[in-house]
Amino acid sequence: MKKKESILGMAFFGPALVLLTLFLFLPMVLTLVFSFTDYFALNPDMTHFVGLENYINIFKDELFVKSFFNTVKFVIIIVPCQCIGALVLALAINKVTHCKKYFKVAFFIPVVMSLAVVSTLWMDIYSPEGILNTLLAHFGISAQPFIHSAKQALPSIAVMSVWQGVGYQMIIFLGGLQNINPALYEAAEMDHASAWQKFKDITLPELKPLCVFVFITVTIGAFRMLVQPMVMTGGGPDHSTYTLVYDIYETGTMNWEMGLASTMAIVFTIFVVILTIIQNVLTKGKEEKKHVNKKAKNI
Amino acid sequence: MSFIEFKHIGKKYAGAEHKSVDDFNLNIEEKEFIAFVGPSGCGKSTTLRMIAGFEEITEGDLYIDGKRVNETAPRDRGIAMVFQNYALYPHMTVEKNIGYGLKNMKMPADQIKKKVDWAIDILGLQEFRYRKPKNLSGGQRQRVALGRAIVKNQKVFLMDEPLSNLDAKLRVSMRTEISKLHREMGATTIYVTHDQVEAMTMADRIVIMKEGVIQQVGKPMELYDHPVNKFVAGFIGSPQMNFFDVTLKGNEVTFEDGNKLMLPEAILKKLNGKEGEMTLGIRGEDLKMDAQNLELYKENKMKAVITDTEVMGNENNLYFQFGGCQAVARVSKYEISQVGDEIEFVFMPSKIHFFDKETEMNYL
Amino acid sequence: MLTKKQKTFNWILAVVLLLLSVFFLFPVIWMLANSFKPDAAITADMNSIAAFIPPALNENYFENYITILTDTNFLRYMINTLGYAALLIVLGVIVNGLAGYALAKINFPFRDQWLLIIMMLLIVPTETVITIHFLIIAKAGLLNTVLGYVLPMIVNPFNIFLFRQVFVSLPDDVYEAAQLDFCSPVKYFFTMVLPMSKTVVATVSVFTFLGVWNDYLWPSLVFTSSDLLTAQIGLNSITSNDNTTMGQTLAVITLITIPVIIIYALFSKQIVEGVTSTGSKEG
Repeated sequence: MKKKESILGMAFFGPALVLLTLFLFLPMVLTLVFSFTDYFALNPDMTHFVGLENYINIFKDELFVKSFFNTVKFVIIIVPCQCIGALVLALAINKVTHCKKYFKVAFFIPVVMSLAVVSTLWMDIYSPEGILNTLLAHFGISAQPFIHSAKQALPSIAVMSVWQGVGYQMIIFLGGLQNINPALYEAAEMDHASAWQKFKDITLPELKPLCVFVFITVTIGAFRMLVQPMVMTGGGPDHSTYTLVYDIYETGTMNWEMGLASTMAIVFTIFVVILTIIQNVLTKGKEEKKHVNKKAKNI
Repeated sequence: MSFIEFKHIGKKYAGAEHKSVDDFNLNIEEKEFIAFVGPSGCGKSTTLRMIAGFEEITEGDLYIDGKRVNETAPRDRGIAMVFQNYALYPHMTVEKNIGYGLKNMKMPADQIKKKVDWAIDILGLQEFRYRKPKNLSGGQRQRVALGRAIVKNQKVFLMDEPLSNLDAKLRVSMRTEISKLHREMGATTIYVTHDQVEAMTMADRIVIMKEGVIQQVGKPMELYDHPVNKFVAGFIGSPQMNFFDVTLKGNEVTFEDGNKLMLPEAILKKLNGKEGEMTLGIRGEDLKMDAQNLELYKENKMKAVITDTEVMGNENNLYFQFGGCQAVARVSKYEISQVGDEIEFVFMPSKIHFFDKETEMNYL
Repeated sequence: MLTKKQKTFNWILAVVLLLLSVFFLFPVIWMLANSFKPDAAITADMNSIAAFIPPALNENYFENYITILTDTNFLRYMINTLGYAALLIVLGVIVNGLAGYALAKINFPFRDQWLLIIMMLLIVPTETVITIHFLIIAKAGLLNTVLGYVLPMIVNPFNIFLFRQVFVSLPDDVYEAAQLDFCSPVKYFFTMVLPMSKTVVATVSVFTFLGVWNDYLWPSLVFTSSDLLTAQIGLNSITSNDNTTMGQTLAVITLITIPVIIIYALFSKQIVEGVTSTGSKEG
């Protein structure tokens, strides 16, 4: 009977396992192996083991370093805007009594649109004679080059990304807000708490684990920036919007330097894993603290 | 050979310290209605699930209809089961729920319809035929679960606390209905319950279990009148049998509070010379306070003050302190008393039980 | 019950949000309004509020759309993508669903370890393995085939995990009852487990659809033949053509967006549920 169940379990899990092995485990192992070689996909027979050479070289590679700092710039603009924007929107929509449903839909619509569509659309919006420059002209602001200048391209793409993504985190926050026990607010009301105190003493602490989660996922998302610059600027002008993942992608699939691309991928993955671990540690720590607080209150 | 035979059946879960079921031996005859009863965790459900094949039998052999079934898949054991939480298929209508097994048996559609019609008729589910389980009340769901079991014409019926989720009134009416179904269908039925009233009212024989071990097997009245040990005596019957710690010397029983009771010769004979500390048990209805009995056993008249009453109408329970503990007497509605009243009562000598202090076995 | 002050506050909040939402949606409104205009009109309207208003009904109203649908392969691309999405929904629900069910309800060797591994896989950024996927598919000679496109996309650790979380709370006694009703495990999965878990099946299906429909990177690597292209890649080839007017571009991206908006309108509950489940996993 037990044996039968094992066979059944493996039969059910089997198809997924085969595909997982082929398209996740194998690629992960290959990436790791390639990262220590000079594997060139067009001439695989000439592959040598090069040790840590790739790991040293990528940090000497100006383009990789530039793409790294570009990515960091994206993160610095996107993360605070998107996190705070999402939280503020969620708080407002949670509070509003009219057209609640409309607001939820309106701010979520860009999320379901594809990156390619949004990028194409904003190319037109950002164009020199485009609608945005026309609008700015009404306020007496002279025409801006936006994605056509090395200075403005990155912030322009970042703003667009926030516009597209903020609805997603807004929905997450809304879910969190709805999970807060209303009795907490009623109790605070009895204790004559002001609206600000309620926010500070109930809403924020209750949302804290979710805030960490959103913060980290938005950060990871920003680190993964690729399609937007690919469609809008091709990484330019002057590589000003070239990102880490863009570099991995081009090195691997355009230049066929799989060894180098794998090394970058490993570095990038380590980065993401570290961020995820930080998140887990932060949320876990918070929960324990919360637990202790609850206990203290009981006493 | 009996229809279902348990030979030294045991169950030990991996990693568990004690066996959940230990050396379970029982023969069940065809068409019998057997109830497994006991407190939660006594192994009754585990045993039932071993019969069904949902739990592996780790020791012993199980025979159904002469065939050893230890390794047989549940579906091939020729059983039907009614589950505690009904286990109805939530996305299927009543009709589909009942006919699902028949459909899987590849029975022709017209025959399925006939069978399902019959079950729906018998169970009075006509108006719910096209409803889904979530739109039915608990009692109706239970009927559907019964319907699903009876249409398959299996020889063995297993019921796992089928009435425990119903309210008290519905439980009583479903009890009669299940008994009636059993009489009409004639399937061998094993019924698991923690409610001794269900077991007493429905079963041909009761198997009473504790901590994985059978305590006693017998007809309801056998268990009631002749419990083999203190556990069975206390489990069967409501209110619970009164137990007093006593010392027996000669023919004199001394209670902890100093009250004394003289035993007649017949009981002393049965006790076979046993003396010393033991537990005396007597059911509430065998503490008598009517004039006739008071007169009959006047040399052993006891006195106590009522501390609490439970008035049920047809009969009443009177609680009082006696023999160092709380005792209850079950009296007819003509012998009502108030809290604070002093009462006189006597022990029906023939109904007294004596249990060993250590082994709790019944001496008589 | 509300005080006057609260009522006023609510109104002000609603008005502020309304203005914000209009400002927020201006790219979408602009896209929709101008997809019905010839380029000359788009430029002419740019300086006035007309930029956000569709033109009056005229015989050339759908001209951009008609050009796109008749002069390019775009309709074909959309149909391709719908086909891929349907295929991946079916395969994804079966493969990930079976795996999730095994992890939830069947005792097999190393089950708990597998679950842990699946959860760890959720962290791996897929962009980093996409080049290897490409290598594998190329080595297998499956470039430019539907199989080559579909194969790496079927299994999804997050969907396995989602299925597992839902299946784990299915009652065991229903499975036992089904066994006594002569239902095989495979039949039980398809006729009981999936219908009993309609919500998660819908959530996974919707997200699979959105994922396939909106995916850009993977199809751009696998497909070079124009017969098999997806809508997103088709969009790229159409907009990079110099003859394509701005109005036509807007018509294409509107066309691409219509299905996702329909899906969102129909399944917003599942989408919101799916999104919040990624968050509540942590809380």
